[in-house]
Amino acid sequence: MSDIDRITQDALEAIAAAGTLDELDEVRVRVTGKRSELAGIQASMRDLDPEGRKALGQQLNAFRGTFQAAFDARHEALAAAALDAQLESERLDLTAPPRRLPPGRPHLLTQVEQEMLDVFVGMGYRVAEGPEAESGTYNFDLLNIEADHPARQEMDTIYVDGFDDVVLRTHTSPVQARVMTTQAPPIAVVCPGRTYRADAADATHSPVFSQVEGLVVAEGITMADLRGTLLEFSRRMFGADREIRLRPSFFPFTEPSAEVDVSFEGAGGNHGWLEILGSGMVDPNVLAFCGIDPDRYTGFAFGIGIERVAMLRHQVRDIRDLFDADARFLARF
Amino acid sequence: MKLPLSWLTSMVDLDLSTDELTELMSLRGLEVEEVTTPGLGTSGVRTARVLHHEPHPDADKLRFVKVTGEGGEGEIELVCGASNFEVGDIVAHATVGGHVPGVTGPDGTRGLTMAAREIRGVVSNGMIASARELELGEDHDGILVLPPDTPLGVELTELLPVGEPVVEIAVQADRGDHLGVLGVARDLAAILDTGWRAPIVPDVVAAPTLPVTLDTDGCASFHTWVIEDVEVVDSPPWVRQRLAQCGIRSIDVVVDVTNLVMLELGQPLHAFDLDQLHGPSLTVRAARAGERLTTLDDTERTLVEGDLVIEDADRLVSLAGVMGGADTEVTRATRRVLIEAAVWDPAAIRATSRRLGLVSEASKRYERAVDPQGAARAAARAAGLIAQLAGGRLIGTDAVVRDPAPAWAVRPPVELDAARTAAFLALKLDADAQAALLRRAGCEVEVAGDTLAVQPPSWRRDLARPADLAEEIARLHGYEHVPTTLPRLDVTGGLTPAQRAEREARSIAVAAGFHEAVTRPFVGDEALVGLVPTAGRVRLANPLAQDASAMRPSLVEGLIQAVRRNHGQGRPGVGLVELGRLFRPVDDPLATVLDAVVDGDWRWRSPAGDDLPIQPRVLALAAGGVQLGHGWLDARRRWDVHDLLATIDEVVRRLAPHEQGAALERVAVTREGFHPYRTVSLRRDGHEIGLVGQLHPTVCEARDLPQATVVAELLLEPLLAATPDTGHPPVPAEPLVKHPAMTIDVALAADDGVPHTALEAAARAGAGDLLDALWTFDVYRGAQLGEGQRSVAMRLRLQDPDRQLTDADAEVVIDAVAAEAERIGAVLRR
Repeated sequence: MSDIDRITQDALEAIAAAGTLDELDEVRVRVTGKRSELAGIQASMRDLDPEGRKALGQQLNAFRGTFQAAFDARHEALAAAALDAQLESERLDLTAPPRRLPPGRPHLLTQVEQEMLDVFVGMGYRVAEGPEAESGTYNFDLLNIEADHPARQEMDTIYVDGFDDVVLRTHTSPVQARVMTTQAPPIAVVCPGRTYRADAADATHSPVFSQVEGLVVAEGITMADLRGTLLEFSRRMFGADREIRLRPSFFPFTEPSAEVDVSFEGAGGNHGWLEILGSGMVDPNVLAFCGIDPDRYTGFAFGIGIERVAMLRHQVRDIRDLFDADARFLARF
Repeated sequence: MKLPLSWLTSMVDLDLSTDELTELMSLRGLEVEEVTTPGLGTSGVRTARVLHHEPHPDADKLRFVKVTGEGGEGEIELVCGASNFEVGDIVAHATVGGHVPGVTGPDGTRGLTMAAREIRGVVSNGMIASARELELGEDHDGILVLPPDTPLGVELTELLPVGEPVVEIAVQADRGDHLGVLGVARDLAAILDTGWRAPIVPDVVAAPTLPVTLDTDGCASFHTWVIEDVEVVDSPPWVRQRLAQCGIRSIDVVVDVTNLVMLELGQPLHAFDLDQLHGPSLTVRAARAGERLTTLDDTERTLVEGDLVIEDADRLVSLAGVMGGADTEVTRATRRVLIEAAVWDPAAIRATSRRLGLVSEASKRYERAVDPQGAARAAARAAGLIAQLAGGRLIGTDAVVRDPAPAWAVRPPVELDAARTAAFLALKLDADAQAALLRRAGCEVEVAGDTLAVQPPSWRRDLARPADLAEEIARLHGYEHVPTTLPRLDVTGGLTPAQRAEREARSIAVAAGFHEAVTRPFVGDEALVGLVPTAGRVRLANPLAQDASAMRPSLVEGLIQAVRRNHGQGRPGVGLVELGRLFRPVDDPLATVLDAVVDGDWRWRSPAGDDLPIQPRVLALAAGGVQLGHGWLDARRRWDVHDLLATIDEVVRRLAPHEQGAALERVAVTREGFHPYRTVSLRRDGHEIGLVGQLHPTVCEARDLPQATVVAELLLEPLLAATPDTGHPPVPAEPLVKHPAMTIDVALAADDGVPHTALEAAARAGAGDLLDALWTFDVYRGAQLGEGQRSVAMRLRLQDPDRQLTDADAEVVIDAVAAEAERIGAVLRR
């Protein structure tokens, strides 16, 4: 056996025995490095005759090919094993609960309000807003609510101190008055916002609450338009199979006036009607007070309590939950 | 208004079950609130005569009684706690096995079934019942004594409508006629298209009563009856039951009759003791300011001009339409009674009642208007009943009528355009069909083509205009017949850009981790104020509570109270956002800010042009504690002031897309209640429109807030007002540079007095057109710098659209930054 053959055999054994990339690299240095036996043999070539030099050269080339192939194969295997080991060390338990994305939630009242507004915007309405501390003229007088009328007394108004006639608006109808006194028909607006009554807070009353009121004034508006609009609204909010019924009522700003019930089907065949809003044909006095000719134009108006709709749809039992900002409640919807 | 069913059916025929009736009423404008059945469950209670009574042998307060038995025969022994009866009286005997509803049973349930029971050695076979035990009234002082002509051995339920339904309705503000059984019966007759009948009243006695002078337009008519030889006794059971069913206390037969007739006919009445009236004569007139009168409730009232009074020869005897005088009231000693029924001006009664805070059954009816033609009938009805029940003789009748009638008492005719009405209601009803419906309501109608000449009935003051008649037509025909259509409108809908921007501001805060809160906007005196602090408050004249005496001057207070509640409830942390209005007095310092930063008119005004309180829209944030809860991945991430500043910054960038983030200047400030070194004012053109800060630790401690609670407040009004109706102009895209960017770091050292914005501006200026982006990545304080100095390290990304940058370009930028820094008193650290 020539030296080369022995070196080849030793080298292949050493490569096979190398357990890590570092050990493999040590083998490479030991077998092919400057101080290796191979380097000595290479150095001895200059002492050989051309024939011998050629023969040894062929032997060395063969060795290099064999060595490199074995080295590369082993290197690849060891590198793959090392990567596997690293990946295993990076194991994550993804069956554990994920991180919660940090976003908060819009308030339930906001969600319901926007849904309502979007229904009406889809029907061609614009959205109008106004102040919450409002002139009594807009809140009452222009809406045909006379100063000493029982209807005004029933509104449980909160008055602002130090002003002649400023109240916390008892409904968002004053926004309708603001629209009618500044815009010519045709008018189609919805007026969302906070409203106030001097009611002590309990499970069903809140001194602050929210409304979406609507107003349409144009030529030829009929009571059928009111009924059709409210039916469409009710079906979009509560379900396509709902019916509504109008019950005669009294509001100073509408004539005829109607309370509106929406049908429900509960568990166990339980069914009936739930009151959801007040409505009516705009009283001719209101139109005239706001500078619109009641002989030419007619209109309808309605007012929806956002809390009431939210509570009905989401089974909220206590209206105070809507205003206490408890994160458990806020994060629920 | 409570309506006993049998009282209604005495005036209108109803062929309906109670459920059908209440459903129909609700659908036709008589809103049913509740149906009760006082006395329901009464059984085995029969009339019996007291045969004998003596003290209980073994108990001071009890009596041993014998009464007649079944069919009025035999003898039954009882024990009784009352003593208001004599031998021969007829009483209600709850027999063994019978049931009495108004007694609370031993287990707390309603009603008691009678059994023979031994009471201190004597067996009691049932009991003698009181009015309250039978739910016929509140009277519990003694047992119920029935009139002497009551048949014996008869079930009580055969004598009185005990346990019948009583329907309570909510009376609409314009339907005063619904405050009497007759009015409701008339309306039901109109609804059912049937007839109605009023109670029978005695004929007028054509003899004078007393001289009455009617000296004011506040009274349309004044009707009097005189009844003599009256014996003022207790009312019979049927009267007491009626009053009890309607929630009114029984007094004596005369007062009870006036109340009964008021409930029956809706017309209030007053009974005077005629012998107490001086003269006797009466003057009806307007009060003079300062006059005094002691009313039936023994309260002295001081009157003003506009009150209406009744005066006898010497003094005031009644506050008209509200309450009678104490001096002339009917007592048990009264023998001669003057019954008065008058028609008063609703507005006058309303004003007096409101001013005195005195709401009586009479004032409730007068202020909603009574039937001007109904007073005579009511007076006669009361006189007749007093004669029947109190043994009186009808002596005389008189009526003084104001002529011409005051305007408020007139029901003018109304002309109705039937075609227009049918179109308005979208109902296929021709003129004759509309006329027929109105006639059902008591109107006289003449039809001429499409025009209806309508004379509304005297009791329907609410039918004064074509719109009122249209409603009546729709109501009686049934709202359910109105078809459904959608209006054809020549309009376009949609949110304005400013309304969309407000939604976007909310979305940004929500995306940043804040839950939206809606808090009650009331505060007490101790509220913490955020931006533009002020002591000014918009106070409430009639606040609901001491700690809710004013409107919030800032949204901060409501939010930190919410943080405290969540903290106290055991949540590890919470972040809240609220969008709403804050409220400041008209001349608050905030006005100066709004004037400076809002394009256009931001004030709300009354129609007369008076300023309303300042109430701009704001966005506020508050947060404290752990940001992501107890999650295992980020257990320690806490809310800090940077989270709020970042959110406010992004809101401003999105709502003002054409201004750089530097549009709001950040200026360190100290504020009451805030951390002195962690609070920043956000300014536009030098005016504070926002505030971000950490609350002072002592405030957190005192108010049970998590330490390092942080709050922010931003005026949205200037951003929304600056949003054009057509939206902001589109933001133009910039060409993306293809050459690779170069990144260099610079560090500028400066005194704390040099604001960060100035340092950043220096770096931007130095980089010039080459700057693509800039980040502050470190702020260093330490020994290498002087006291009160810090070094701000910024990373600049540079690029040029036309060529690749070289180290030489970097050198130029660094030198330029150094020069800019020097100009603001900062030093580039090399």
